Amino acid sequence: MTSDAAGPDFDVVVVGAGIAGSVTAYRLAERGLSVVLIERGDVPGSKNLSGGVLYGRVLETVFPHYLNEAPVERRITRHVTTFLNADSAVSLDYSADGLAEPGNAVTVLRAKFDPWLAGKAEEAGAFLMPGVRVDSLLTGPGLDGATTVVGVRAGDDELRARVVVAADGVNSFLASSVGLRQKQPTNHLAVGVKAVIRLPRADIESRFGVSGDRGAAHAIVGDCTLGIGGGGFIYTNTESLSLGVVLRLDDLLRSGHTAIEVFEHFTQHPGLQQYLHGGELIEYGSHLVAEGGYPMVGEVAMNGMLVAGESAGLAINSGLTVRGMDLAIGSAIAASDAVVEAVAAGDTSKAGLAGYRRRLDESFVMQDMRTSARAPKFLERNRMYGPYGELIADVLQNAFSLDGTPREHLLNVARHALRRSPLTLRQLISDGWAGVRAL
Amino acid sequence: MTIVVAYKWAPNPQDAAVGSDGSVDFSRAKSAISEYDPVAFELARQVADATGAEVVGVTVGDASIDTSLARKAALSRGLDRLVIVADDRLAGADSTRLAAVLAAVVRGIGDVDLVLAGESSVDVTEGQVAMTLAGQLGWLGLNAVSSVSATDGGYAIERDVPSGTASMVLTGPAVLAATTDAVLSRVPGMKDILGAAKKPVEVLSLDMLDVSSAQVTLTAVSASRPAAGNRQRVIIDGSDPTAAAAELVGALRAAKVL
Ligand SMILES: Cc1cc2nc3c(=O)[nH]c(=O)nc-3n(C[C@H](O)[C@H](O)[C@H](O)COP(=O)(O)OP(=O)(O)OC[C@H]3O[C@@H](n4cnc5c(N)ncnc54)[C@H](O)[C@@H]3O)c2cc1C
Repeated sequence: MTSDAAGPDFDVVVVGAGIAGSVTAYRLAERGLSVVLIERGDVPGSKNLSGGVLYGRVLETVFPHYLNEAPVERRITRHVTTFLNADSAVSLDYSADGLAEPGNAVTVLRAKFDPWLAGKAEEAGAFLMPGVRVDSLLTGPGLDGATTVVGVRAGDDELRARVVVAADGVNSFLASSVGLRQKQPTNHLAVGVKAVIRLPRADIESRFGVSGDRGAAHAIVGDCTLGIGGGGFIYTNTESLSLGVVLRLDDLLRSGHTAIEVFEHFTQHPGLQQYLHGGELIEYGSHLVAEGGYPMVGEVAMNGMLVAGESAGLAINSGLTVRGMDLAIGSAIAASDAVVEAVAAGDTSKAGLAGYRRRLDESFVMQDMRTSARAPKFLERNRMYGPYGELIADVLQNAFSLDGTPREHLLNVARHALRRSPLTLRQLISDGWAGVRAL
Repeated sequence: MTIVVAYKWAPNPQDAAVGSDGSVDFSRAKSAISEYDPVAFELARQVADATGAEVVGVTVGDASIDTSLARKAALSRGLDRLVIVADDRLAGADSTRLAAVLAAVVRGIGDVDLVLAGESSVDVTEGQVAMTLAGQLGWLGLNAVSSVSATDGGYAIERDVPSGTASMVLTGPAVLAATTDAVLSRVPGMKDILGAAKKPVEVLSLDMLDVSSAQVTLTAVSASRPAAGNRQRVIIDGSDPTAAAAELVGALRAAKVL
């Protein structure tokens, strides 16, 4: 294969064998395009942290039977939301077996799931190239005078392509190197610290009240993050738990704590020991999450290049759920359709690739990004992370601790509790309203 | 002439978990070319480039060693072709059996006058396979080889020996195990990996090979960790570097190290 001016080595170079990259490469190869899928990890998934909850309906549109085929851990039928205080906890437990069919949300471990997905792309005919870190984009002047991406460089080697799809994740330096992404303000980013702990199956099932292939997802806010904007999560895998904290970067910096300190506080929190005790740490790491919401999505296409998945800023943190994988799949579908169209038309300029943004806008991806546009602002309201949990706990404490004195009407109890709380009624109403609009 | 690189597709110790009882669990480990083997690929390529020999990679193990990832990883490191024996009957095989299968493959290739290998595998670290292979073939075996180059009709070799470096010349077939720093091995680039996909791979069945079987069984009885040594377990608070340095010097003096 030569990379002289004669012609491209491949129709498409996809950078990053994460969720977005592998799905894009799969769909392009399926349609007969020549595709190379480049991944810096020696094995796909080796650079990607633990995993989490995949809202998998959209994956069914690509792999209708993925639930039987892919290495998924458990189907989530139980969502628990907990306000955690230093010595009390209030939980909202939503469980419905209907959630399991046809598999609304499943837990995955990326170390297993990514190799499966990349394997699908390889089976379809994509050339999987692990162990290679793309160092830079090859660019030249386009017909319109604007910069055109014509390939990638890694070490001394260059590969040319009609289209480069940058699916290199939240830190996408490929997108920033050509000005598609600006350096993000710290309130558009969160730091995630994640771990996987091994726990016997029987313990998982008894502690989380699940059985068979069913599982639970716990979202935790309040004292577990030392009051820093963000939250914690515990997800059940088959024989392990994925857990961690997602912390707003600006708030973390302001607090003077390190992410690791907060993570340790979380894992040692007395309120969570009933779930975690005895677990053996088997994987640990930290990663950024894009949570700027809709405003963070900028240009997604230029001459010769598209940006997909979290490298395009596609992620949603509603405070209770972190979503990125399903949006990565949605954007991969849009990107691959647009690339097929552009290559067929012989126009891979920005105009030729405009079908990507149009498809994104029409799909659930941008619609959800817009719906949750207010979530980041909502999450910036710090009272979410301290006073609320305490207020609710205070109310319930009054309601449940029967000490012989006559019971007050719960509304009065709440009123008194609110008076003791640093919160005002106006804040309560304003946050409630913002929350309803954001979620 | 043909040079064989005998290498192992081995679980990566970085992914292994060490239990509190000292047991090592490789179940979550991903496999890769055993870390001490890339030197053998590099030496083989350099010698072959000088002599015009063909370089053939050979690896044997259970069925899991034959994946497209594993093939590309080997073929992108300068091999001309690859021969694999991937059979679950070789799962957990000891070094003697692996060497016997390797010997059968080398005999089958014919025309081989040099086999290069790493010092030992990263997962088992016994350092036995290369020398046992030499014995099986009835060839000369040398370990601790730090340099190989072609000469007229043979090879010039350097070995790390306790007294320094020994130089020698060699004629006739040999199995050489290279030290981990014998040569700096190249990291495969994109073109190497693309080229790898076009190189021939031969998968041999264990049944087709003439493997000698020694009637010896070796059973592990127990293993123990090395003694912890005489550790003082002194931890110095480093928040004030000057004080910490003074304390460290004091502690080393007290221990009569300084
Ligand atoms: C703590 C935490 C919890 C989360 N929980 C969830 C959850 O429960 N559910 C959910 O849906 N999402 C969750 N997310 C978000 C989700 O992980 C991401 O949105 C998702 O992984 C994005 O997919 P992607 O394919 O765009 O990028 P990635 O998965 O990041 O993949 C990018 C790939 O590109 C490779 N790469 C990068 N640079 C280069 C280069 N130069 N050359 C070659 N390869 C390169 C990387 O190695 C990687 O494999 C969470 C994130 C964090 C940090």
